[in-house]
Amino acid sequence: MDAAHNDRIRLALSRAIGTYRKNRNNALEKFPHTIKMAEEVREMKVKAIGMMEELAQQACEAIESNKGKAYIARTADDALKIIDDLVGKDKLIVKAKSMTSEEIGVREHLEEQGNEVFETDLGEFIIQKLGQKPMHILSPSIHVPKEDVAELFSKITGEDIPSDDIEMMVATARKLLREKFFEADVGMSGANVVAADTGTLFLIENEGNIRLATGAPPVHIALVGMEKLVPTLNDAYKVSEVTWRYANYTVPSYVSMISGPSKTGDIEKVITYGAHGPKEFHVIFLDDGRTKLADDPILRQILYCLRCGACLYECPVFALTAGHFGDKYFAGVGAVWAATISQDKEKAASIAYTCLTCGRCKEKCPVEIDTPEMIVELRRQMAADELLS
Amino acid sequence: MDNKDLIPPGLTFLADNITSKQNILGASTEEGAKWAKWLNLPKEAETIFFAGCGYQYATDLESLMSLIRKIDKSAISTEMTMNLAGFQKKLGVDATGIYRRLMNRGSDDAQSLKDAVNVLHSLGVEFGYLADDEPCCGGLLHYIGLHQEFNRNARQVHDGIKSKGVKRVISIVPSCTDTLRHLIPESIEGDGLEIKHFCEVVLENISSRELRFPRKVKVTYHDPCQLARFLGLIEEPRQILRAIDGIELVEPEETTGVCATCCGGGGGFEAVFPELSQMLAVNRVRELLETGADIIVTHCPGCIMQLKTGVKELKRNDVEVLDLVQILATAMGV
Repeated sequence: MDAAHNDRIRLALSRAIGTYRKNRNNALEKFPHTIKMAEEVREMKVKAIGMMEELAQQACEAIESNKGKAYIARTADDALKIIDDLVGKDKLIVKAKSMTSEEIGVREHLEEQGNEVFETDLGEFIIQKLGQKPMHILSPSIHVPKEDVAELFSKITGEDIPSDDIEMMVATARKLLREKFFEADVGMSGANVVAADTGTLFLIENEGNIRLATGAPPVHIALVGMEKLVPTLNDAYKVSEVTWRYANYTVPSYVSMISGPSKTGDIEKVITYGAHGPKEFHVIFLDDGRTKLADDPILRQILYCLRCGACLYECPVFALTAGHFGDKYFAGVGAVWAATISQDKEKAASIAYTCLTCGRCKEKCPVEIDTPEMIVELRRQMAADELLS
Repeated sequence: MDNKDLIPPGLTFLADNITSKQNILGASTEEGAKWAKWLNLPKEAETIFFAGCGYQYATDLESLMSLIRKIDKSAISTEMTMNLAGFQKKLGVDATGIYRRLMNRGSDDAQSLKDAVNVLHSLGVEFGYLADDEPCCGGLLHYIGLHQEFNRNARQVHDGIKSKGVKRVISIVPSCTDTLRHLIPESIEGDGLEIKHFCEVVLENISSRELRFPRKVKVTYHDPCQLARFLGLIEEPRQILRAIDGIELVEPEETTGVCATCCGGGGGFEAVFPELSQMLAVNRVRELLETGADIIVTHCPGCIMQLKTGVKELKRNDVEVLDLVQILATAMGV
């Protein structure tokens, strides 16, 4: 598929960009304190990234004391091994959308092990069924026009779904997935931010699929990048608010805060686990190059990223190519991730030299990530063969 | 050990020209300085005008890019272009040959530079010009990641200019200005020279002048990335435009000032992805024309080239793309 030659995709993207800008401006006007809060969050992230190791240890202790299980995985393989041991084979898994799980290929891996995996975020579900890669971190199917969705869902259900009936498409996805949440052996998610002091994961969403995926199955496994850790619950709340606001929402429909397995003490005050929610709660903190990256004075900025997606809407190249300009993560910031987590120099170079270094992304980044500076540094490290390894 | 094969060949070619010939296109420096032959600017002065590569080779760059774009169109898809091996192979063969052939022609067209000199003189600003001794600022070396080469060049540029007794530099290309003002002092870890951008000098001296554009026009202004976001010169060009009688300044929604959209010619991008770069130019021109402007004004040789391409692609013969320098020269009647 060739994004830059496809006028429809570009049209879909330009509409999305227009809507995004309007919504974001509206959200920031309505809640003007967000801008000041974003400055606070930046300072908080600068500090937190320098102490990821301690924060991860602290969060693990908190989660264990909440009767969950916590792990630190140094590499992608370590994380997959932990997941394998927990999941096993021939299981049904429902997944919330997670960039970190995309990063290490959790779905593909679980399928190879003989499990059945359902992506439950609508966009991610569409992408999974189309056999494609996500093209945006928040809206993975941003490049798929409604006509293609109608065709896909008609094929799956055997029903005739009109290409202008988006409501029917949404209802179809709901019908296809509803039972899966309750039949699933395992629910998997990521987290937008984690409070180290209480071990609480914050999950921001609008669809409600994350509530179901993390609430209905008997086991919940969360895979979280170590950079998502902040010291306190209050810090985590601030990060969440800034994230959704710059992701163009005044407020999202749902924010789940999960700190441990489901429990009840209603019968004779005897604490018993696995009431209505999962009996088991596992959190895997993923390093995968992050602690090393934190030592690089310039490239460490990538770890401040809240994944709000603001930069993608500002990138002129992304507007033409969507996720083709990127690897697991997209646009300028994607180059740094490719060099760090994918360790793929050619891939990183091709993204790094595709960045215009125009710097508009920086202007709209809530945590002021200087992408041109990172890109030039990455090019320097590549040319001098000093790239992290 | 280094790993320069990760750098796209279109960029290494430009880089080699800087280090060997002191200009991005590998022309002789005499060739580059030809534009100033009849202006009789002194070679020695405390204040000098820094012309930079962009405007000197404007005509060459334009024909070069239009040639390269013809090739790129028939070449490969975006997805393949995004693949390093793909564009290396493509540009490694074709582009270098074309660059070389074109460079043998030379050019004496650099009207914007002549206009700039005339505007400054008319405002009573005196300065010299190093002509064939003007070094290349080397900014591109920094941007493509060749920092050893950049640092070496930075030292030479700084020492070279300083040894001629220069105290102040009036620079006009945004990228050269940022390199001279920020990157070189950072690299040599010392005080640089006093670097002024052309539009700052103009604004300081223009207040008493009557400025009149020969006809009533709607003008929109495109902020060059480096001028707006790197140098923070956003209000200055606008103040100049607003001071001109006959000009109505109209701005695009959202995409202006620090949020202006890149023309698609940034950081050597146009040399690596000519076709994609053209699409970006078209997109930007579309945004700018939503204002209903008759003239698109900008202040960077790279943007001029890109925006002209965009206007041409959209077949908008009724729209002109002009440099702020040209507008000023017309409004001052110089």
